[in-house]
Amino acid sequence: MIEVVSGGLYTSMQDLGRYGYRRYGVPLSGAMDSYSARLANQLIGNFEGEAVMEITHIGPVLRFKNSTEIAITGAGFVPTLNDVEVSLNTRTYVPKDGILKFGLPGYGLRAYLSVLGGFNSEKKLGSYSQYFGITKKETIEKGDSFVLKPHKGKPHTATASFKVSKNHFSSNSIDVFAGPEFRLVSKSIQKKILETELTIGSESNRMAYILKGWNGVSAQEIITAPVQPGTVQLTPSGQCLVLMRDAQTTGGYARILQLTESSINSISQKRAGTVLHFKLIDYPS
Amino acid sequence: MNLEPTYQHFGENGVLINWSSKIDSLINDEVLNMDRLISKTFESRIIELVPSYQSLAVYLKEGESASNFIQLLKELPVSETIESQNTKRLLTIPVCYDLQYALDIEALALANKITVKKVIELHTRETYKVYFLGFLPGFPYLGGLNKSLSTPRKSTPRQNIEKGSVAIGGGQTGVYTVDSPGGWNVIGKSPIDFFSTESRFRCLLKAGDLVRFHSISTKTYKRIKTEVVAGTFKVEKEAYYD
Repeated sequence: MIEVVSGGLYTSMQDLGRYGYRRYGVPLSGAMDSYSARLANQLIGNFEGEAVMEITHIGPVLRFKNSTEIAITGAGFVPTLNDVEVSLNTRTYVPKDGILKFGLPGYGLRAYLSVLGGFNSEKKLGSYSQYFGITKKETIEKGDSFVLKPHKGKPHTATASFKVSKNHFSSNSIDVFAGPEFRLVSKSIQKKILETELTIGSESNRMAYILKGWNGVSAQEIITAPVQPGTVQLTPSGQCLVLMRDAQTTGGYARILQLTESSINSISQKRAGTVLHFKLIDYPS
Repeated sequence: MNLEPTYQHFGENGVLINWSSKIDSLINDEVLNMDRLISKTFESRIIELVPSYQSLAVYLKEGESASNFIQLLKELPVSETIESQNTKRLLTIPVCYDLQYALDIEALALANKITVKKVIELHTRETYKVYFLGFLPGFPYLGGLNKSLSTPRKSTPRQNIEKGSVAIGGGQTGVYTVDSPGGWNVIGKSPIDFFSTESRFRCLLKAGDLVRFHSISTKTYKRIKTEVVAGTFKVEKEAYYD
């Protein structure tokens, strides 16, 4: 069992998303950086859709009541286990009563913690992802505890580790496809959208990132229609919203661009204040 | 009216099918027909579909090519796409319009220069169509609100609107199926459960359903609420032929 000694800034249980319920208005949810979440499970030999702990900016403190193995991926935290530094992107043995601390990341924003076998967290509508109104809890808090699932793998045998490209965290060029309403705005607005440097606003969260910097750019509302993670909305007042994993399933703002899956993962690691720009790419023919 | 849809990419694993850009029950019927046809024909290739007023998102399984899928859609026999489902469900939703639940009904009546009684009469008289679900888990986008009840959203949204609240926002009416912040004008409350994941997944309404609101007293509200908690209440459903 793992006890949460302190919850950190915004820690939640996530997997690769709650598929199959979007037609009922249930958001997809899932790990903001799905690349790092998958990697955390792969390193430990878990099924890639097992629950992982998503750790945001200020990490939690966890006490392990049983020995196990863990992997930590994503943002550049410097986690410690019983005050000894733990490497990222590798398997690490945790002894009984081990205390894992995360502190603050040197780069990136979100880290993912996997445990051997997986967390036996509440599963609703086929997914472990915590979401308001679907799961009982929407975040992980002090006092929560998680039982670990039994595992079939042999513990402490492999020494798998993985080198993650720094580009995943540092690139400020965000690949986008044209969105359904892109061709409906004027050429001059299209040009502005693709050439302006944008700054991530501090209100950004799992539902949407708010980007600032577009001036004199706006689009009319549309008849409410499907949206998905990575949809870039342009509002009549000129606000730019990049919908993220907890976004609604439909929306009424112009869908000007659509991020690639890899761009969603990359932007998930960027903090408020980061400057970026969009790079238009074509859909494969 | 042109009912031929157009097809476009929507993210790496998505296809968006669009009909004419208007809110129209016939167009929405086409969306829902296509929704059924695709889920039946391409079950193995898709994860899920999300219908809306005049648009349908198809989310494909990883590894499926959206370009190929668009080609397959274009080759679908036309006769199949116009196969229509003419039997719908008509659900009767009990609503208590008593002032203790109808937080904004007096203001709404005043703004529309009608009596509270008239608001209730107009709201319960119409048959509404569930175009699709979105915004909140289980939330129905209903078409068919009487124009005399059309009321702008509140300038300051409420922090929390309790689930079951029946409300009007602009030219639309709907039910808050879960607790949520919201800016619509609350005109009543239904004691029934619209969405739940408690013991099992339950979503009362689905796209294409027809809905009528039935005015009930506070006493009946409380009785139904008790029955809902006990699990003995059954929403009145009947087959409806176009």
